Parts: sequence; C-alpha cells; structure tokens
Amino acid sequence: MASELAEDAPDAALLVAYANGDAQAGRALVGRLGPRLFAYATRVLGDRAEAEDVVQEAMLKLWKIAPDWRQGEAQVSTWAYRVTVNLCTDRLRRRKTRAQVDIDSVPEPDSGLASAVEQMTEKDRAEALQSALDTLPERQRQAVVLRHLEGLSNPEIAGIMDIGIEAVESLTARGKRTLKAALADRKEDLGYGHG
Amino acid sequence: MDMDRKTQDDGALEALFSAAADHAPEPTDAFMAKLEAEALDAMPSHAPSPKTTRPAVWGALKGLFAASGLSGAAVLGVWIGFVMPDIVPSVSPLAEDTASLSAFLPGADLAEFSE
Repeated sequence: MASELAEDAPDAALLVAYANGDAQAGRALVGRLGPRLFAYATRVLGDRAEAEDVVQEAMLKLWKIAPDWRQGEAQVSTWAYRVTVNLCTDRLRRRKTRAQVDIDSVPEPDSGLASAVEQMTEKDRAEALQSALDTLPERQRQAVVLRHLEGLSNPEIAGIMDIGIEAVESLTARGKRTLKAALADRKEDLGYGHG
Repeated sequence: MDMDRKTQDDGALEALFSAAADHAPEPTDAFMAKLEAEALDAMPSHAPSPKTTRPAVWGALKGLFAASGLSGAAVLGVWIGFVMPDIVPSVSPLAEDTASLSAFLPGADLAEFSE
C-alpha cells in the first residue's frame, strides 16, 4: 500500500497509517525514531549490541500498540523514549559490577577542565564524555543524555521519566557536577592529564 | 574554586556535550534494514489472508448446515402432521393403548410368528 502522507506528517499520523496497512509510513517511523532511540540507548548503556536489542524491543512494542493508538493522548516519540528509558533501566539494574560515582560525595572539582578540553579533538571530546557518562548513576545519566545530548526540554524529560520538572532539573544539575568530577578524576586515563 | 574557574569548566563541559552531540552513535544500515523488516512483519493486515479465509468460510458453512438441519426437521414434522394426520396415531404410543410392540421393534412381529 503506497503512502499518501507528506514527509512532514506527524509521527502519530504515520503510526495510524501504519496500523491501516501503510508500509511506507512504517518505514518513515523507523527512519525517524530508530537513530534517535539507538543513540540514546548506546549512550546510556555504553554498548551498541545491547542498544540494538533495546531499540528492537521498543519498536516492536510500538508496532504492537499501533492499532490501539489514540491521536492526541501522547506524542509517539515521547512514548517510544519512555519505553526505551525503562528498558535501559532494567538492563542497568541487572548490572551489578559497574562502578558508579557516589552522587552525594562529589565536591565541585578543581579540575582545570577547560584547558584540558581545549587541547582535545572533537572525537576525543566525544569519547571522553562517553567514558565519564558511564560512571554516572543511572537516573542522572538518563536525564543528562536526554537534556544535553538528545536536546529534549525539561517538561518532555519529565514526561518520559515520569517525574516532576524540578526532579529533572535536580538530576541534570547533579549529573553535570558528577561528570566534571569524573572527568577530573580520569584526566590521566583520558589522555589529557598533562595538558 | 573561584567563579571564573567554575564558569570556564561549565563552558568546557558544554563543549564536550556539543562534540558528543555532533558525534552521535549511528545505527548500521543492516540494523535499520532489520528494524524495517520487523515493522513490515508486525504490520496489521487488512486484506484477509488465505490461511484465515478457509476456516472462516468452512465454519460459517457448518453453522449454516446446522441451523438449516434443525429448522428443516421442525418444518418436516409440521408438514407430515398436516398432510398425513392418520399416520401420527399409528406411531405414537400415547395415541393407542394397545399399540403393538412391532411398531417399535423391527423383527418383533416375526418372533410372534415363530412361537
């Protein structure tokens, strides 16, 4: 069945069209949501293979709910992020050995971070941040990724994580502070300790 | 730590966020193709498939036969009673107190002859 929907059609319209047998609408949704969910899951889990599993599961849940989707009740992307966040949370909680920074014992770092970052390439910066993200407590990591890497608003994140906006602000603020401390602690590992 | 240093570090963290956002992990083409294939597999179908049509039609026909069989028997009984009223007492044990056993048990009359 050929799609008659415009390229800028809302996600919800695509989902309803998909539920009515429009294959092109399904492909369009995969193209819109797949890369975003994959980037989020990879950053939070730090593992591409696990991220693929999570995104597959989230998308299958979306296809399953498609016939019952009611337009106007929620944004499809918010729903998909919420499912992905929950699936990532389940996986993170099953991990027992990952070392995390104690969120309440982190002082403001005297890191000299700025001069170090100046000397790093763009790629090194991205890798350094990923390494530091891996050490954050799961909720902080999820909030920081959604806010500062996926570019979502605080109200959107509140809806996705099922918490209040103030809680989102608190998580991202503490997350940033913890990140700076983690980066300061790992200057030698990250290769900019002598900068 | 003084405020200048804090501001500088905040700026440095923003630079890291910016770099990471520009280098987002990207799914492979193979994975995207897999997602598309799974989407099409899971897509609700609105055209009846052969697998579902045959049992559905057969079930409907069986139901039709059952319904027509019941109503046919009822109609036949009423029709017999209307056009051949004489036959009804001869097969009804309530219509004649001296009904013969042979009316109910085929072969019973032959047994009477043999005695």
